[in-house]
Amino acid sequence: MVDESRKLRGNVEGNARALAKAFKYLVEPNRMTLDYPAESMKLGPNYRGFFTVDDKKCIGCSMCEMICPPEAITMVPRIVSPTGETLPAEQGAKQEPGAKAAKKTKRPVVNWGRCIFCYFCFEICPVDAFIRSNVHDLAFYNDADYRPSYEEFLKLPEEPVKNSKKVIPKPDMKRGIKYEPAP
Amino acid sequence: MMGLLPLIIWLIQDLLYLIVFPGLIVALILVIVLIYLERKIAAKVQMRFGPLYVSRKIGGALQSVADLLRFSFQEFIAPNGSDSLAFIMAPGLMFAFALMPLIFIPVGPYYSYLFPSALTILFSVALITVRPIYEIIVGWASDNKFSFIGSLREAFLVISYEIPMFLSVISMLIIYRTLNYMPAVAFQEAHLPGIILNPIAAIVFLIVAIRSTGRFPFDITEADSELVMGLFTEYTALFFGIGMATPYVELYVFSLIFSLLFLGGWSPLPYHATGLIAGLFLPGIVVIIKSFIVMTVLVFLRAVYPRYRVDQAIRAGWERIIYLSIIAVIISILEAMVIW
Amino acid sequence: MSERLYDISEVANIQPEGEREIELQVGPAHPGSGHMRLKVWVDGDIITKVDADIGFVHRTSEWLSERRQYIKAIPIVERIMLPDTVHANLAYVLALEKLLKIEPPPRANYLRTLAAELNRITSHLYGIGIFGIFLGSSTVYMWAFGDREPFIDLMEMLTGARITNSYIIPGGVRWDMPKGFRERAETTLQYMEKRLEDYNDIWAKNPVVEARTVNVGVVDKNRAIKLGVVGPNLRASGVDYDTRKASPYAAYKDIDFDVPKMDHGDAYDRLLIRIEEIRQSIRIIRQVLKDMPDGKIIADSIYSQLNPVMKKVYETDGWHRVMFPAFFNQIRPPPSESVARVEAGRGEIFFYLKSNGDKYPYRFRWVTPSFRNLPFLTDVAVGYRLADLPAIYGSVDYFPPEADR
Repeated sequence: MVDESRKLRGNVEGNARALAKAFKYLVEPNRMTLDYPAESMKLGPNYRGFFTVDDKKCIGCSMCEMICPPEAITMVPRIVSPTGETLPAEQGAKQEPGAKAAKKTKRPVVNWGRCIFCYFCFEICPVDAFIRSNVHDLAFYNDADYRPSYEEFLKLPEEPVKNSKKVIPKPDMKRGIKYEPAP
Repeated sequence: MMGLLPLIIWLIQDLLYLIVFPGLIVALILVIVLIYLERKIAAKVQMRFGPLYVSRKIGGALQSVADLLRFSFQEFIAPNGSDSLAFIMAPGLMFAFALMPLIFIPVGPYYSYLFPSALTILFSVALITVRPIYEIIVGWASDNKFSFIGSLREAFLVISYEIPMFLSVISMLIIYRTLNYMPAVAFQEAHLPGIILNPIAAIVFLIVAIRSTGRFPFDITEADSELVMGLFTEYTALFFGIGMATPYVELYVFSLIFSLLFLGGWSPLPYHATGLIAGLFLPGIVVIIKSFIVMTVLVFLRAVYPRYRVDQAIRAGWERIIYLSIIAVIISILEAMVIW
Repeated sequence: MSERLYDISEVANIQPEGEREIELQVGPAHPGSGHMRLKVWVDGDIITKVDADIGFVHRTSEWLSERRQYIKAIPIVERIMLPDTVHANLAYVLALEKLLKIEPPPRANYLRTLAAELNRITSHLYGIGIFGIFLGSSTVYMWAFGDREPFIDLMEMLTGARITNSYIIPGGVRWDMPKGFRERAETTLQYMEKRLEDYNDIWAKNPVVEARTVNVGVVDKNRAIKLGVVGPNLRASGVDYDTRKASPYAAYKDIDFDVPKMDHGDAYDRLLIRIEEIRQSIRIIRQVLKDMPDGKIIADSIYSQLNPVMKKVYETDGWHRVMFPAFFNQIRPPPSESVARVEAGRGEIFFYLKSNGDKYPYRFRWVTPSFRNLPFLTDVAVGYRLADLPAIYGSVDYFPPEADR
């Protein structure tokens, strides 16, 4: 079953070309890796990073909890006070008699250990209440930090790596990806 | 008593030669530099940084030192079924015998007192062939099928490539008409470097050097994807470090021999001089620089080639390389009879 | 004081008389095996028997999907076929659309083709890289994985995530092409064409690579059909079969491309055919970018179910972001079954979905191409040398998580 017509090509030319090509890349190196964390990428505006929810828009319908594939979203009970603030359920328990009743509602909280950033919750939300960011390299020091409380979840996370040069990748004909400093 | 002082001076100079320059310490420093250089060269070709993080200001140059320190502090584990004496002694003996040819390689017109010899080429090339025995013992002593297969491969390959090595050296000896390094360098200074006199012998010697030190494309005994780490699968700690460093020492020895036989030795400098500085240091630096360039070229091949299969390498050793070395001998005979 | 407490032959593997073979465990903790164990029996240097022990990365994707809503199977299926996520996504959504009887609009079909072909290029580069490191060439490994980066960057611009895109949903796709995408794609494609010449010098025409792969693992046409292998491995043995031509899906009916085919069926052909397929994918992407029709990127039957907030988001967002109607939470297809086949980078994916009207699938069954390519490791490697096993394994581009599902 061995095809004898496959003769091996002349070796000298193949060797010379391989050596020449490797030597060409040795004298003009084309580096494609980033020196993280001295430099880090600033990702595009469409990037699916860590996110939060807009408290005023959310209506507590729980559609995000139903659609989340890894079941990372939990709805926690909250109370909307007459002035429009959202309070934890215990705080709102004290009401003056006769005052306008506060509304019981729910709000989503994401367990970052389970989230896969598929953004199905963004798309199923009937009032488009989620807010995105392009922070992607957050790290937590203990297991409990993966499950924030609702008030912590409301804060959009900031870039964890300070003092790093931000670069934007741009495709380049010669180098593949060229990293230019971010404005 | 009058003869005792020069004797002591000679002895100290000899020990300086054997241990410091170009003996043990220069060999170890070059090994450390070369391991880092190999990784950096491969990284430059492969679009990445290479070792960078250990000492950032100097571009990661202390990476090998950090690796060596890490190996020194690891725990040494010997498997239960291994042959304890051979398992522990063989890497050390391998390293010692890899260093041993340095005794007989003069890097300058320096006369050694401890090991005076007029047959330095013969002794140095012959001592190279002792080291593979210990590699085979290493592979057998670990109770691991992958090491065993690795040592079998090494045994086959060593046998196949010994004849070409000796034939290529002999073809240069025919031209130089001597078994000593100093007259060989003298001949090259007077006429032409060995690589122009007999380029085929130079190519054969380089191929044998690549095979013997395990550089790509002959990386067969440490084939990553087939045998887990080849011979040194079961080793940890400093023994693993010795196993990884020995091929580089071997590479240093081969490059020194190559520079002396083929590249003209300490050629711009006069072939005969006395004293420590003019007789040992300056020619030594020239020879070491030439051999460093040769080592860098051989180490650069990591970025170019994959590895051959063992039967292809054995077949090449018995067929093509022997033909090339016989052609080299014939060319040398013709040159010696006709030209010089 | 050196009396042994046990007989050495009880612990060492001393073969009884008459047996010449050594059993090697090219096991999971081995640089040349991937996530599986190959028990290899070797006589000297010749392989006499190979027993593939797969299942180390079995992640129960079928069981999980049968207990979750239909929409939640999209991320599950993607993460099983990791270098080829768009094709797995596309295969599942095609099967689901047949159950729901929805047709995506033409622009969505072209966008699906664009994403699928970009993914085919990254999948083939992954295969080339793994083949390189199995043979020992770390340069090809680093180059292949580095050259994936511009393409993954394009996917990130299109979908928002680098590899696990979750781009295709029943009815169409989730985002449209952003502004500036065409220029970036053209630059990247020109870069890749230039790089294919570099791969030719260092990889395809390297004498060591030719010596390792020519006449290794030869599978001729009839044997390939009998063993049931799929994908570029089938086409390298001379069988002219590609699902994109045999039963076209997405926009492949309207695009002009060739399917490369080679004759000898050895590892060298399987190496060359992947480089040829990258060239054809570049050609397809250029045509798709040129001929892309205008229109909606989601089917009308789904668009009409969006509430006004979601419709406004679709109109005003620069990327025409498609939000999900509420029924995506509880897709209940009518009781029926459907089959979808898609040509992924490694071969053909086969999907079978059966629903009985409930909100969970009744039966979710898929067969991945790497599982079908398993006979290469068990049947074809016998009779070759031990060092040919990584060459055959790498040329087949076997991906264990995909085979185990």
